Amino acid sequence: MGRLYLIQLDGRIYSCRNCRSHLAQCDELVSKSFHCRHGKAYLFNTVVNVSVGPLEDRMMTTGKHTVADIFCNSCQQVVGWKYEVAFEKSQKYKEGKFILERYALLP
Amino acid sequence: MGGDSDVGQPPLKRQKLSKPSHKTPCEGSRTGVAATGSAALMARSICSNDGETVGSHGQIRKVEFVRIIEQALFSLGYQQAGAVLEEESGIRLQSPAVQQFREDILAGRWDECVATLSEIGVLEESTYKAALFLVLQQKFLESLEASNTTAALETLRSEISPLGVSTSKVHQLASFIVCFPEDLLAKAQWKGAGQESRQSLLEELQQLLPPSIMVPERRLEHLIEVALQVQREACVYHNTLDHVLSLYSDHRCSRDQIPTRTLQVVEGDSLKVKYKFTGHSKPVSFVAWSPDDTMLLTCGNEEVVKLWDISTGQCKYTYDKPNSCFTSCAWFPDGKRFVSGGGDKCIYMWDLEGHELEAWKGARMPRINDLAITTDGSHMVSICDHKNIRIYNLEEKTERVIEEEKPITSLSVSKNGRYLLVNLVSQEIHLWDISAATKDLPKKYRGHKQGRYVIRSCFGGTDYAFIVSGSEDSQVYIWHRWNGELLDVLSGHSGTVNSVSWNPVNPHMFASASDDHTIRIWGLSNRPMPKKHDEKPGSSNGFDHLVNGGTRDLLENLRPFNSDTD
Repeated sequence: MGRLYLIQLDGRIYSCRNCRSHLAQCDELVSKSFHCRHGKAYLFNTVVNVSVGPLEDRMMTTGKHTVADIFCNSCQQVVGWKYEVAFEKSQKYKEGKFILERYALLP
Repeated sequence: MGGDSDVGQPPLKRQKLSKPSHKTPCEGSRTGVAATGSAALMARSICSNDGETVGSHGQIRKVEFVRIIEQALFSLGYQQAGAVLEEESGIRLQSPAVQQFREDILAGRWDECVATLSEIGVLEESTYKAALFLVLQQKFLESLEASNTTAALETLRSEISPLGVSTSKVHQLASFIVCFPEDLLAKAQWKGAGQESRQSLLEELQQLLPPSIMVPERRLEHLIEVALQVQREACVYHNTLDHVLSLYSDHRCSRDQIPTRTLQVVEGDSLKVKYKFTGHSKPVSFVAWSPDDTMLLTCGNEEVVKLWDISTGQCKYTYDKPNSCFTSCAWFPDGKRFVSGGGDKCIYMWDLEGHELEAWKGARMPRINDLAITTDGSHMVSICDHKNIRIYNLEEKTERVIEEEKPITSLSVSKNGRYLLVNLVSQEIHLWDISAATKDLPKKYRGHKQGRYVIRSCFGGTDYAFIVSGSEDSQVYIWHRWNGELLDVLSGHSGTVNSVSWNPVNPHMFASASDDHTIRIWGLSNRPMPKKHDEKPGSSNGFDHLVNGGTRDLLENLRPFNSDTD
């Protein structure tokens, strides 16, 4: 592989469980009350060291959304998804934000 | 119609122009025309042809054109040809008054000069005075040198001071009176009476007087050179070493001036490996050749820095610090010192024996991702905290910060030390000017793909007119530096192209390294393909400039990359 470009973050951070590359800062946490297939998930404003997959429409507990899976740059694991479009007005606040599954994160 | 003396005259000029004396309509439009005879003739002749233009766009005034040609003829030594042209076209290069003036200056007949000066065309008050001052100053200095103090004093009193021009200069001249003639030359910075100083006086006057009266020297040559310069700059593919462009046709290089064809694919195992450097425990992420090509610095990915000697293949020194996590290093141009920086938020300057010369650290130092030193050793550029470019001026110990919006993956500095190139995660390449005092917007180059890996780019071509970069879509992108146009996209690799390096001595060759375990050498497309070379497994991550132009020594950089498996 070529030399991966990984961004290092300061302060309290969440990292990928597999490869320990930094994913997000604690300050960027918006909400802890999300759920996904594997359990809890957190909503973040910004994440780093991830690449975005293809868009798809999914039906979720809160309604239909257009989301894209996000993968950790170094180990290619799916760590969550990104909200692109929310079809219901009450869900609009999520657009452009990222969900990271608790299962994929350290600490 | 002179036959052979029409050297250098385009056919257009051969038509006889009607005598200027009966063309009066535009005379009135020229305000303030001097009434003396020769000047009037001059003015009228300028006037009468005022409306005529030559050239397909009608932008060149005929009179000016003819005068410039006459001047070129005279300066080339074709006196007769010039005289014939003057006669035929009725346009004189210089009015007789100006001619007289020139001769008077060169002969040193100062009083006649002063008289003629008032006759030459229309001069503004200040210009007239300044010109007069120069002439009188020359007269003054020459009399002083001839030890003719009374005459000099006379000039100063009655002629120079009433002018009211530049009183400080007048005081200075007065102080020269009390000098010995030998000191005079040194004090006044004057070359002494004679042709040389008179010639330089003439040139100064030429700059002072309006160009329509005295056409500046070598005007035609200057105009043509400017045109050639514009053509060369407009030529997007210009990449040749010759500086002399032909005048016969517009200069336009074709696309085959930039390397577009793979000359060699270096892969497999058969390129002669000179040395295998082992010792790093983590993948080697950065190498730097010393400016004199004898030593190599290698950095692991957040690890120690090792200095290798090329001739023996031994590690000369390992630079270590507690918690060392160096990511990059850069040599000083004198080859005796280098800096290294990394994740521990300090930059250290080392010398070749392992001594630490200087350290930049402290609470304000952020993490360093990449370092570079300009080739004149005056600036050190570092990428801090992913988004900031910090430029330290090493002599003045000042620093300047350029903030980018997106994280920066790699940095490269141009050879003349004025520009730097940064690759951003957002798939752009920005070109910044280091020496600009104000923060102008950078030039941006787009089109390539980048997101996960460290992709390097560099300057290339003669005059560094090209920007070339690798990309994650296995292609090499070449842009024209000045207009940002994407010139070419070269395919051939089958993996991410991580790094490119343009040959510093041959502007028609560059190399690219990729994740498909090969290095490709690219050259001009009309060269024959040489034989293929093989290489060893291990993806190549980056390389430094091949100062000697050869590819063999390059391969040593790759071996240590595998040392994590050794």
